[in-house]
Amino acid sequence: MRFLLTLIGPEGGWEDITPEQVAEEMKHWEAYGKETVEAGAFVAGEGLEPTQTAKTVRGGRGEERVVTDGPFAETKEQVGGFYLLECKDLDEAVGWAKRCPISEGGVEVRPVLDYAAYGYDDPAEAGATPAPKS
Amino acid sequence: MKYLFVLMNQEGGMEDASPEEMKEELDRWDAYGKEAIGNGVFIAGEAVQPSETTSTVRIKEGEEPVVSDGPFAESKEQLGGFYLFECKDLDEALEYAKRIPYRDGIVEVRPAMDFSEYGYESPTPGPIKATAA
Repeated sequence: MRFLLTLIGPEGGWEDITPEQVAEEMKHWEAYGKETVEAGAFVAGEGLEPTQTAKTVRGGRGEERVVTDGPFAETKEQVGGFYLLECKDLDEAVGWAKRCPISEGGVEVRPVLDYAAYGYDDPAEAGATPAPKS
Repeated sequence: MKYLFVLMNQEGGMEDASPEEMKEELDRWDAYGKEAIGNGVFIAGEAVQPSETTSTVRIKEGEEPVVSDGPFAESKEQLGGFYLFECKDLDEALEYAKRIPYRDGIVEVRPAMDFSEYGYESPTPGPIKATAA
């Protein structure tokens, strides 16, 4: 079962830190990422550039879609990254979320759509991420 | 360069859809995803289950994480899914974002962090290779 872990937190705090502090911070993420890979849970995951780099596209189907600068919502907490993990159940996914090395914020844990319920054997048939090759 | 598309939408509207309507809806997403795979840009993408299925873990360094039911923030629009695409630049990413087949919604387009400046490779593998059906 796949779960999307969305990492949310206050932005900033990285502007004035030294390269040594960055390296120290990255160590935590590297270790966490490696552990998810070794556990066979890691499907995908990324950190994101700050929201000042964000563009937002709005408009319904059949309408002209409009692009604006900035994130979808101007809020103190913003999405900073995500993990897509294969877990046996919600408890395991929440266990990963609890250990995520963010210093402050939250992790939203959401099961991905059950594509099989709509007749797709492999999520790839529904235009989603293919099942890992075993 | 990798771009994350965060799809936000108002929830609901498909509860009363017939299987045929559901199929038609899913076919659009299927076609979009397959086109992205065929073009060599698709890395990952998923639709997520309704926000009522969400658990949120709140974290503060040095404190015990707290788990609660429901999304991080209660807002009219909620996360509906995501795509992670490899695009040559922002313009290409925006072209793909504009064509995402949602009925009504918002897409936030964000470049993935360039870990190379910190001496790390990106954690996610590259685009999925299209395989003959």
